[in-house]
Amino acid sequence: MAKPASPHKGSTPLIISLAAFILAFSMPGKVNAQGTGRPTEEYCLSCHANPELSATLPSGETLPLTVSLEVLARSVHSPLGIECEACHTKITTYPHPPLEITSRRELSRSYYQACQRCHSANYERAQDSMHAQAAAAGNLEAPICTDCHGAHNVRPPDEPRAHISEICGQCHTQIYSDYKDSIHGSALIEQDNPDVPVCTDCHGVHNIHDPRTAQFRVESPELCAGCHADPELMAKYGLSADVYNLYKLSWHGVDVSVYQARWPNLWHNSAVCTDCHGVHDIRPTNDPESHVNPQNLLATCQKCHPSASPNWTGAWTGHYEISLERTPFVFYTEAFYGSFTPFVLLVSAIYVILQIIRALVARVRRSL
Amino acid sequence: MDQAQRPQGRSYQGVVRTERTFARFTLGQRWEHLAVMVTFTVLLLTGLPQKYFASWGHDILATPQSILLVRRIHHIAAIGLILEVIYHLGRALYLLARRRLSGDIFPNWQDVRDAWQMARYLLYLTHKKPAYSKYNFEQKFTYWFLFFAIGVMIFSGLILWFPYWWTHLLPGGIIPAAQLAHSSEAIAAVLFILIWHIYHVHLERVNLSIFTGHLNEADMRRYHGLEYQRLTGVAAGEEAAPGLGSAGEPPLQGEESL
Repeated sequence: MAKPASPHKGSTPLIISLAAFILAFSMPGKVNAQGTGRPTEEYCLSCHANPELSATLPSGETLPLTVSLEVLARSVHSPLGIECEACHTKITTYPHPPLEITSRRELSRSYYQACQRCHSANYERAQDSMHAQAAAAGNLEAPICTDCHGAHNVRPPDEPRAHISEICGQCHTQIYSDYKDSIHGSALIEQDNPDVPVCTDCHGVHNIHDPRTAQFRVESPELCAGCHADPELMAKYGLSADVYNLYKLSWHGVDVSVYQARWPNLWHNSAVCTDCHGVHDIRPTNDPESHVNPQNLLATCQKCHPSASPNWTGAWTGHYEISLERTPFVFYTEAFYGSFTPFVLLVSAIYVILQIIRALVARVRRSL
Repeated sequence: MDQAQRPQGRSYQGVVRTERTFARFTLGQRWEHLAVMVTFTVLLLTGLPQKYFASWGHDILATPQSILLVRRIHHIAAIGLILEVIYHLGRALYLLARRRLSGDIFPNWQDVRDAWQMARYLLYLTHKKPAYSKYNFEQKFTYWFLFFAIGVMIFSGLILWFPYWWTHLLPGGIIPAAQLAHSSEAIAAVLFILIWHIYHVHLERVNLSIFTGHLNEADMRRYHGLEYQRLTGVAAGEEAAPGLGSAGEPPLQGEESL
């Protein structure tokens, strides 16, 4: 049981209650003057607007009990008339029932369950997520609704859009730092680009799954294709929208598509987009730090093909259609099998057909 | 290789019908054909599911282990075919060095004239079929088409099998080219065998000489008139030399039977 504490340390609960009581009846006029028109909020804030209101928890942590009216007013809930009791369901009276928690984290983890009263679909999705699994496995630091969305200050998460990735970066610091310098992250943060992916575009929003599974791996090219196979979107940035289709024809792509269709849960090493381009640190190919920059390409191939020699990179047709300039060997091979061989086979077939006709005619004539 | 005929004719005319046969392939050549035929079939059966891996191939190769197995069988059959080719070329070089290599299989201008006459014959512009020597142009074409096809398959197959080694020597662009060539040439070779070879040795006439090693007199007269004349000194169109068994059906120069 938590001991509520007033600014006067060591006071008995009775004194605090009394102080709060006095405070409660001395404040209303002031709050009313701001004209929120929300009676519960006004009533609660008559105490909780006090900037010095806090409690000491059995864990030794100090729990601030101050709620700022300005913060509430900027949130999505308060202006819609969703007031304190919508979430603080157990507190219906004053004096409050005793707090049955021992730490701030425990408090958060008990309160966030109130979110499902209104946001049941997203709450359910979150229960399927990697984060919920981590919590079930005992990691109480695993994020809950309020860790990402905030509590009293809940705001639309994408204002600005970069805010979404920033929130993930609170815990995933190294990944966020890689992402920030990537082509996607820098366009997001520096230009508020509406097209580049934020974390949730690839990882999902509430039902974020483990991205390290075999299934996530074989499905990941489709994720990239969501944007990179969209001709309109790619035209905007002068990028080819054929990269995915050409990948699917490649050795890697065929392998991966079969594993995806047939054995999605078997780990397979044939390269997916991120193996060459990087995961969070994707950069434009002309960036010297890009994994697929011609300077770095061999090292990237050698991650999977350690015996590859410098010529090896030429085996990669580079998401381009066959052309004389880029892929002369394939170009001439295709020209040969696209024209000469079919011609020879066609002539052979015609010859045989003529032979058959000649022989049949002869047989019919003899039988007449 | 060119022994004239089997001494089968004894003096039993009117009592026993004797048939002269003409040697066409040595035992070694017959084994070579069998080796090519078997390895080619195994390579085809194990190669096609890999080529069509993305469509129906993975219905057959139901587990990742089965892909490895099929690939291993493909490689073993490939070694068999490579050894056969080495033997074939080695033997040719050996015979060449001893000035004993037969030139029968090499194309010449007569083949072009024969093909032209055959085309005219098939279009009813002439009623006279060309008279062929040991190998007609159809058979030479079969040999050289598959000679080239097997060469491409072995070369491109070795690139795909040992890509790291090859790219130490050659540009990396050969790998996707080898992939395309291996896959396309395989289909071309199969179509060629189905259209051309199967028709000529099974449908036009049943010619099992590559298995038996010899051809009977009637077939020799009809299909290899010049060779028959060279071996017997008798023109294919004439009556058989006395004392020898009848060829049965007289050779046809005009209308052909199926």
